Amino acid sequence: MAQARKGRLNYRCPSCFMRDIDMDMFYDESKKEFYCLRCNYVGTEEDVIAKNEMAKFRYRNLLKRITFGDDDGH
Amino acid sequence: MKDKLILNLVHRPEMVPEYAEKIMGHGEKENLEKEPLLKESLDIFKLQQQIAHEHGLKTTIQMTYASLFNEEAVALAKAHHAEYGDEIALTLLGLPSTAFRNKYKTKDFCIWMFSYEDKKRIVDDVFSLFFEKFGFYPQSTGSYYMDADLINYIKEKYPSVICAIATCWEEGPKAYHATNNSWYTFMDGGPWNPWIPSKINTHVPAENESEDSGIVAIPHLSRDLNACFDGNGSNFGTHPQNVLRGMAYKDGQYPYLFNLIDQYRHLGKFNDGYAYNMMFVGPGWMNKMGRWEQPYTLLEQSYKDGIAYYGKLKKEGKLIDLTMSEFAHYYRANKTYKTPEVALWQDILYGSEKQYFWYLDPYLRTCVDLNQGGALIDLRPYVAKLYLPVGIGTPRIVNASYPFLIQANYRAGYFTHYAGEGTLKSTKVSYEGEEIDLALCLTKATFSKKGDERYLHLDPIEVVFKRLTITIATTITFKEATGEIRYARRIIKSSDPHAKVTFNDYMTGAFGTTEYPEEMYHIRLRVNDAEKSQEIKYHYANRELTIHNGISEVIIPDIETRITMKSVGEYETYVREGYAFSPMYTLGVMKDLKQGEEIETWLKLEKAA
Repeated sequence: MAQARKGRLNYRCPSCFMRDIDMDMFYDESKKEFYCLRCNYVGTEEDVIAKNEMAKFRYRNLLKRITFGDDDGH
Repeated sequence: MKDKLILNLVHRPEMVPEYAEKIMGHGEKENLEKEPLLKESLDIFKLQQQIAHEHGLKTTIQMTYASLFNEEAVALAKAHHAEYGDEIALTLLGLPSTAFRNKYKTKDFCIWMFSYEDKKRIVDDVFSLFFEKFGFYPQSTGSYYMDADLINYIKEKYPSVICAIATCWEEGPKAYHATNNSWYTFMDGGPWNPWIPSKINTHVPAENESEDSGIVAIPHLSRDLNACFDGNGSNFGTHPQNVLRGMAYKDGQYPYLFNLIDQYRHLGKFNDGYAYNMMFVGPGWMNKMGRWEQPYTLLEQSYKDGIAYYGKLKKEGKLIDLTMSEFAHYYRANKTYKTPEVALWQDILYGSEKQYFWYLDPYLRTCVDLNQGGALIDLRPYVAKLYLPVGIGTPRIVNASYPFLIQANYRAGYFTHYAGEGTLKSTKVSYEGEEIDLALCLTKATFSKKGDERYLHLDPIEVVFKRLTITIATTITFKEATGEIRYARRIIKSSDPHAKVTFNDYMTGAFGTTEYPEEMYHIRLRVNDAEKSQEIKYHYANRELTIHNGISEVIIPDIETRITMKSVGEYETYVREGYAFSPMYTLGVMKDLKQGEEIETWLKLEKAA
């Protein structure tokens, strides 16, 4: 089996991202999926994209534009 | 300029951008002179400059060593200085190049990590080359970090330098972990906004003229003072592609970036109208191959959108763009050495409503967590003015962080695990065998200022015991350049006005710069009054000393710091040694209060003799 290469985009491992680690993934051509060198995550590009969206669960204000008033703190 | 956001917009023509060689050259041997790499690098710089100028913003062009060998880059800088008023400056980032490696025989590239002799050689080399190309020495320079010895050398040899990018805020173990333990920028503990660094330690603001290093320092990016305390600093700053790195966007929208800029504008409310932003995107973040999962189109668009927002603010009269040297003049004209920097900061991304209050002056830096009843979750003893040389040949080759006494995330904080304690300054209240730590009380605060004191007024906290309910008002006072923090907690309401509740205002501390404990054998714990002094030599034996009235004291020779706590009236004060599984120390003040009564405590940091 030939060596792995980067995919179309340089995807990070979504599982590692969720624990604040930026870990590049490599592409397994034979299985058509990405894999992480560090943890045990494997997934297709579609799965990676879906998991990246899932990683945003903690950003409840992701699309909220906030106005800061003239107050002194509140 | 009062009530306007001051912007430093910085670009660098980095002929071998960080990341780009690794991305463009995957599967090939390293080659810093690949034609596509050099061309793309310069194209990105040109694009960044074009976007800024289209929006009416001037920039500071920080020439890199490699770019000084490129005639086109030099000519562009001269042309943009003439046409747009951009400042031509010199960065100590961007050293990697064939010329540099051939000369210095190393792949090191972080200026603060070189030996002191090499730092001087490199600085002389780079500054001479700059002079050769431009006919003058720069007024501004910078790197991710610049240690005090480096700044002192530059200022002495090249006195024209008045401004420098000198640290990345809270880029320490968190950045290291985020990069699979490969990014050696250990520089926690510094100011988040511009300051005048002392000659002895870059992170510590100068207290007076004799300590003044002669430059105004600015941080590398303006970072989220909430998200970066726990998360990766490189995800949450005034750097559009950092926001993408943190995945704080959806469908090409990233309101978080604009919320972040606006919150920095809002900080003017707490700092006499002064508000500041710094944006500095290295070219590697806008390379055509994309950056991680973000395609080039999004990288480019996010930069355009970020700059467009600054441009809009300028058109509306809400922003002033200054070059770095212009800013240095402004800063010196408007700040005193001892003027504190404060930030009542709210979470703008997670939806938690959490507030932090950050305070710094030449004596200390600290963070109050209003989600933890006003507990201190970070405390740095600037007053110790620690000389901590960094780089090859020193004991701290890569570690430029300024030590903490409290760092609630590195050393546990409010304790929720099996056994032990965590670093925190908080208050426990107890009644009939029940004990509640106010760190479990969610609150918010307002800010006020009078003279040389800054006040944080907490919304009242309610504590419910089985047979008693009390309401506590809290004011935290910071008196500038004293190293003192005063907590005043008063029972303003009680279900039984005669019931006595025991207040234990305590600080559990450690020291260090990382998550891992240091040896604590040198620490001395004392209680003192006018007549006697008792002492524990730290040996992990969990011993305790108590005294009526008096002062509790902890001496940490390793970081030349003395911590004391005291109160007024009748009270008990104590010190407690930790143990091997809980390598901490605690000092505190205890007092019984009923409705209408108050406990005042003073926590003071000093340089240990």
